[in-house]
Amino acid sequence: MTRLFAAELLKLRTLRSTWGFGLVALLFAGLVTAGHIGGTQEADRFDPELQFRIVLDGAFPAAVLSLLVGIILVTNEFRHGTIARTLLATPRRVRFVVVKLLAGAAAGALLMLVMLVVIAATATIWLGILDVPLALDEAADGVWRAFVAAALAGVLGAAIGGAVHSQVGALVGVLVWMFVLEPICWVVLGLLDLDGVAEYLPAASLGGLVDSTSEGLSWFRSVGVVLGWTAVATVLAVIRTRRRDIT
Amino acid sequence: MIEVEGLTKRFGKTVAVDDLTFSVQPGTITGFLGPNGAGKSTTMRAILGLVRPTDGRTSVLGMQYRDLDEPVRRVGALLETFDAHPGRSGRNHLRVLAMAGGIPRSRVDEVLSLVDLREAGRRRVKGYSLGMRQRLGLAAALLGDPEVLVLDEPANGLDPQGIRWLRDFLRGLAAEGRTILISSHVLAEVAQTVDEVVIIHRGKLIRHAAMADVEAMAAGSTTVRSPEADRLAGLLAEANLDARAVGDGRLAVVAPPERIGEIAAANGVVLHELSVERASLEEVFLELTGEPGERGA
Repeated sequence: MTRLFAAELLKLRTLRSTWGFGLVALLFAGLVTAGHIGGTQEADRFDPELQFRIVLDGAFPAAVLSLLVGIILVTNEFRHGTIARTLLATPRRVRFVVVKLLAGAAAGALLMLVMLVVIAATATIWLGILDVPLALDEAADGVWRAFVAAALAGVLGAAIGGAVHSQVGALVGVLVWMFVLEPICWVVLGLLDLDGVAEYLPAASLGGLVDSTSEGLSWFRSVGVVLGWTAVATVLAVIRTRRRDIT
Repeated sequence: MIEVEGLTKRFGKTVAVDDLTFSVQPGTITGFLGPNGAGKSTTMRAILGLVRPTDGRTSVLGMQYRDLDEPVRRVGALLETFDAHPGRSGRNHLRVLAMAGGIPRSRVDEVLSLVDLREAGRRRVKGYSLGMRQRLGLAAALLGDPEVLVLDEPANGLDPQGIRWLRDFLRGLAAEGRTILISSHVLAEVAQTVDEVVIIHRGKLIRHAAMADVEAMAAGSTTVRSPEADRLAGLLAEANLDARAVGDGRLAVVAPPERIGEIAAANGVVLHELSVERASLEEVFLELTGEPGERGA
């Protein structure tokens, strides 16, 4: 299992697209952090909560990118036909799915690490220029939540990829769900006075992991809901992958 | 050893493989032959655990592929479809496979050298020619130094030199006692390589025989060229052999070349050419598969 996991990480490292993703993540992190500090009123910059929010708001795009990386980790195999070679080395398909989930978690956490370095650097320099003291305890609280969010997003992405197999289908489906269909569901559920239910939907619960406000589900409950959606996607991934003929 | 027992595979209403049974013994190279769409690739993928049989079973080294411990070290496979990520270098592709299979990294450079891709190994696979891709696939199959090889159309895209190298290399591996199954849709292509042939058509077994037996079926047609073609034709007729003039001093004779050579030598007839008509192997193949003119369809 260890060497299969290491092979998955090597697969990621040896593709230029991975480094491209990393670069996009860096730009996102820098821009979001700079925009956050720049858009904050001068009086609010000394609120220690600000630095907690800077970390988590910067972590949101990282969580979305982790989700997409998780999807690509699995669907790349089917898109480029490498699945046959992978399954020759890992003929037990449940093990294949488990290794992919672990790789998704690792990829998400690594992506978040890269982004947090940029967030920290940007925030430290800018806040230093503005003479705002660093609130390390508040920031640290945001950092570990961000890591958990990215790792879970990577796992969820890998599970979705394992259930769908088609790269275009999975990526477009997830983005359409997150940014079109689920917001429509929120509106509809709101009209039906069921706002509480909307918080249990996949994108809302994932957003709850990096939510810097105190609205909606608690952080731990959001983790539980995301794990629940991940479990559903994983079961589908196992069923789909076990039944699939590699022709 | 590879065993296929009563294998049936249906894709919807299409029967790709129909109650197929055969085995491949250690130390032999078995050619797996049939026209395109005969079910060869599906059978090979079933052996490798990539396709789930509808009925029947397959085994490698006495167990199902998925039950093998360290399968990449024990079974090497080359699939007809290309299976490397186009954005990865050939060398990195093999490094990933080596890591997943628990194979030492040094083996990567060994197999790259073996298939003459040492220099090209650093380039991304999407720039590879068909022949280079095929050689990379062979390198992947050989990576674990396996005791069983399952190669789907291994000669595809190789130049004549490459085909000759492959033939000699596979013969060497078989001599070490390894089990080798190679598929082709051209009998003549594998005739000099294999010991046995399994011929299938429309998913069904047509014949499992020694290659020598198949060649014997084809040996009825030999081309002989001589400056004394008319005299030779008479001598062959006296020996009750059917010889037909095909122009330019050539005769098409329904007899093995050894017999014709002996008659010519005994009578002092000079021969400029004595060759088994290789096309006749294809005729045998087409006759066995029952549909002349379907070759390559």
